[in-house]
Amino acid sequence: MDCHDVRDQLLDFQRGQLGGDVATEVRRHIDGCVECAQAELVERELTLLLERRTPQYPAPIGLKRRLIARWPSASAPAPSAARRPWPRVLLPAALAAAVLLLVVPVAFQLLSPHGQGSAVMVTEAVNDHVRLLQSQRPLEVESGGIHQVIPWFTGKLDFGPAIRFGGDEEFPLHGGAVGYFVDRKAATFVFGRRLHTISLFVFKANGLPWPTSGLERVGHEEVYRASARGFNVLLWREGELGYALVSDVNAQDLKLLATKLAS
Amino acid sequence: MPGSDGKPAAGDLGPEALAYADALHNLARYLTGNDTDAEDLVQETYSRALGSASQFTPGTNLKAWLFRILRNTFISQYRRQRNNPTVGGLDTVAPTGYGPADVGRAKDEVELDRLRKVVAEEIERALMMLAEDARTVILLDLEGLTEVEVAHVLGCAVGTVKSRLSRARAALRGLLKDWKR
Repeated sequence: MDCHDVRDQLLDFQRGQLGGDVATEVRRHIDGCVECAQAELVERELTLLLERRTPQYPAPIGLKRRLIARWPSASAPAPSAARRPWPRVLLPAALAAAVLLLVVPVAFQLLSPHGQGSAVMVTEAVNDHVRLLQSQRPLEVESGGIHQVIPWFTGKLDFGPAIRFGGDEEFPLHGGAVGYFVDRKAATFVFGRRLHTISLFVFKANGLPWPTSGLERVGHEEVYRASARGFNVLLWREGELGYALVSDVNAQDLKLLATKLAS
Repeated sequence: MPGSDGKPAAGDLGPEALAYADALHNLARYLTGNDTDAEDLVQETYSRALGSASQFTPGTNLKAWLFRILRNTFISQYRRQRNNPTVGGLDTVAPTGYGPADVGRAKDEVELDRLRKVVAEEIERALMMLAEDARTVILLDLEGLTEVEVAHVLGCAVGTVKSRLSRARAALRGLLKDWKR
């Protein structure tokens, strides 16, 4: 492998996208070639520079409001003028029926022994993440470090949301918030990865339909991996607590964060 | 609800489609170069997405699909109307040479030192000086799209993405390096 080959593969090498043997060869060449080692540093610096300092132009609030107003599933349907209101006497029955329609399918999926439950867990994780992204104020506590975020949850939850990893340069911890996972409160931790947002939901694990097959070892934990609607999801439990990690960041990066959290 | 053919109906694109508004607006801003056109481009993108929801394949990357619509809309509606900045475009940038004769250690050290001092405004200025293709590939890569997804957005082969990204980054480095503080 010569300098030309190495330079062509520097980005893939830095992103861990090369196979084991090729990666080893590139590493060996860089270790023995001053010029390629320097070029590798320059590429890495450019990536850091772009990730940290490229000016961002998020959509203005007015534009978001206009988009939401025009989006079919995001705005309430207009009531039909021809529809007659429910007679008052039928209202309680109608409400009860509506509650049953909402609760029964969810309960059925949660209690299903045929693996439907894990799909519910994944869907819930993605929905919670999307809600966080759409929120105008997604964070209730801005991060001044994990030792500022964790104590903030005191008194807001009936469990201690212990996590082992408090962020670093690759995955800075932006802050936290109290949210919900299915039917219970969850501690939400928000990490960054380049321009991406990663949500970690920590909640009491009991009574949820945790997947029991298709698990893989990540750090010290058995983790279930899935993707839905363009988001990657990792689920695992540790003792009495459950963890759901969600983002549109690539699966490899998400797994890397899970490794840090589960080690 | 899905349409009668099992394909997604407009509402089935779901609220997550709206969650990409920031990312879409960011790319739109870098493509158009101004706030007004960027907003119009994003609105038109979502309008087209609703109109062609049945063409979205569930299970594929919705974000990449929206980026593709945005870029195609930009090409068809905006690029021809305006004086697109293409100074230092891909076709005008020679590929970087390799080997000790071209890439001396001292030269790279100067470049490294220079890169570490670059500020946000300089990055934006350099990005806007790249050709649209180069700017787009860098921004999509920065968004975390895979090469396959970027290829889908740009409508080119995966191998082309790799070479375009490599040349675009080299052109960007060249612009950033050459500016004196």
